[in-house]
Amino acid sequence: MIDFELGDELALIRETARGFADDHLRPRDREFESGRAVAGEVHEAFREIGLGALELPEEFGGAGLGALARVLVLEELAAADAGAALALDPLGPALYPILELGGEKALESLARPLLQRPGARALLVSDRRDSLRVEGGAVSGEIPWVPADRVDLLVVLRPTGAVCVSEGIELDELRGAGLRAAGATGLKLAGAPICAAWDGAVGARRALARARLYIASLLLGVMRASAEFSREYALHRVAFGRPIAHHQALSFLIVDMATAVDGTRLLAWEAAWRLDRGDDAAEACATAFLEAAEQAMFVTPNGLQILGGHGFMQDYPVEKFMREARTLSLLFGGPDGAREDAGEQWAEPDDWAGDAGRESDGARLEA
Amino acid sequence: MDFALDEDLRKRIEQLSQLGRSQIRPLGLEADRLGRPTPPDHPFFERLIRLGQGRTRWSPDSKGGPERGVAPRMGTSVVGLCMIEEISFWDRGVAASFPGPGLGDPPILSMGTLEQKRRFLGPFVHPDRPRWGSFAMTEPGAGSDVAGIQATARKDGRHWVLNGAKSFAANASRADWIVVFATVDRSLGRDGHRAFVVERGTPGLGNFVVERKMGLKAYESTSFTLEDCSVPQDNLLGGEAHYSGRAGFRGAMKSFNATRPMIAAMAVGIGRAALDEALSFSREQGLLDDPRVRDRLERIRRRLRVARLLCWRAAWLADRERPNVLEASMSKAVAPAVALEAASLGMEILGGVGARGDHLIEKLFRDVKAMVIVEGTGQIQRVIMARRLLGDGPRN
Repeated sequence: MIDFELGDELALIRETARGFADDHLRPRDREFESGRAVAGEVHEAFREIGLGALELPEEFGGAGLGALARVLVLEELAAADAGAALALDPLGPALYPILELGGEKALESLARPLLQRPGARALLVSDRRDSLRVEGGAVSGEIPWVPADRVDLLVVLRPTGAVCVSEGIELDELRGAGLRAAGATGLKLAGAPICAAWDGAVGARRALARARLYIASLLLGVMRASAEFSREYALHRVAFGRPIAHHQALSFLIVDMATAVDGTRLLAWEAAWRLDRGDDAAEACATAFLEAAEQAMFVTPNGLQILGGHGFMQDYPVEKFMREARTLSLLFGGPDGAREDAGEQWAEPDDWAGDAGRESDGARLEA
Repeated sequence: MDFALDEDLRKRIEQLSQLGRSQIRPLGLEADRLGRPTPPDHPFFERLIRLGQGRTRWSPDSKGGPERGVAPRMGTSVVGLCMIEEISFWDRGVAASFPGPGLGDPPILSMGTLEQKRRFLGPFVHPDRPRWGSFAMTEPGAGSDVAGIQATARKDGRHWVLNGAKSFAANASRADWIVVFATVDRSLGRDGHRAFVVERGTPGLGNFVVERKMGLKAYESTSFTLEDCSVPQDNLLGGEAHYSGRAGFRGAMKSFNATRPMIAAMAVGIGRAALDEALSFSREQGLLDDPRVRDRLERIRRRLRVARLLCWRAAWLADRERPNVLEASMSKAVAPAVALEAASLGMEILGGVGARGDHLIEKLFRDVKAMVIVEGTGQIQRVIMARRLLGDGPRN
């Protein structure tokens, strides 16, 4: 029955992530951004608290936890620095096709060596429009931007499966619009040899769902940070004789921003709950991604707006939140890709509300 | 963490949906066509009573503690929320016409003495016939700002004498009693408020006018007057002692607090109905191949889902007696606006078919607008949220 309680374990995980983000990430966000990397000792500190390998099975040194734990941690990390959150996760969403399609064998052969190499990164890209050429056991093509300065393993996810390459990956350094703490490069493959290939539409669908929820969680953290920062600012900045938060034009905007954050979080939690139950959560994850993308682009530009001219200056983090929100939501096919998948269900009437077997009766009557 | 409904609740929703298809929606369409509320002697109301509807949340075994004795039939707020969403999916106007103590239940539960609960809620424990209770706060000159009510109460021996006018009270003309809010001293603002149970037939209670509305015609929204209306002192909710400090006003606000997610859930139900109409039409006309249509339907479905989760969270908090003022207002601020958008999109997709005025989508479009207003307009919800999030500043 409906229950929003996190429980002790998840609450502790969230608290730990929040503490880490406060201590290690938020104070150094500009340093990581300009240095295009997270400092080595911060990587070390992150490994020590054990939040990096949440979803890895225990025999691989992970915590064997589910999607909900991941959502909670990513929100906290991204509320401090979304680029750093990506940089701190060597496998990132590339873990999902490895798990869902490759299984334990692939985890052993591809993921484990990567985890043992300091600074190594795996990268997931979604190629739903076949813009990369896969032929003769090799991959060719270009990706204009990836949030990484180093790619040891590239996983190309397609609707029917995935291919992996680990050699022949050419990277050209870019300035990047956002998430610079994770790096920013243009990626070229000229006949890069495929080191692993898996078929399976179901696994690919689930991997993409989990990747979308990963990004939705980061977006959630970014927009929360923007909403909270601008709220605090509005309570202290005085105009026309009172804090600007107490002018109704701003107070209404601020509460709408808070509402947008809460609504997005509930959708993300619900999608994670579905994944953890083993449901086909593709539609729920696409929906959570879409909501996060849409609301992040409502919240973060307004977060900047509340600071006025100061918001435009890089002395404050709100301009960074806005760039991060925009760039994050471009990943894995962006909102249009998610709309395609979320709209898939219109092909046949089903459980729009999604709450476990409860159908919308009108729709059912039409079936 | 759990987002599933349990088996028992799903069964009850299924029963409601059968009733909805066979009775509730046809009744709503009929009332809309005839432009009048369903009459109180309609056999549908008898049938609801036989089905166990129309009851109070109070239970006589509960020793009168505030809101402890929740009748098993109703269960938790979350359960009530899911059921009211389903009924509203079929027809929200008919839902508001259902017999029962209505919005009078929460204030009597939270403020009433045991004796008052026995007298006024007792008949609703196992009602012998369809009975209604009503709640009257709104006045012609005081809506969301309930502190501004003008109706007066003056003590006269063992009675209170009430004078004033009340507006838009649901089911007031057919009610056994109406919970009426009045002030003993306008200059005291909220501290002057008192709540009275005014029984049908009390001399001075009258001039009932069933208002003509844009939609939701199946239930009566009634205005009435109190002219030297003499109410026994035993009908002062909670007794005199209750009103030391600011408890009187807090009583009223508490009842609003519990009902905001309910109203929001009704809006979700109406929004679902509108989405279903838009979807059926799109499917029949082959519009689902058009990404322009599909994307907009997707957005409405997504926003309705967000609205529903916000409602569930607010009710879940209430069930645990945790503060939910912010969350209740969030649900009420979001859900009706989304539902209106759903109905408006439905009109757009149906085009001229909607404009004819004889399609369900057009009725939903009219019905839904009230939800953005009742129990605190969307703007008032934002004022409430702003006070929680930003302190006491914005009083302008």
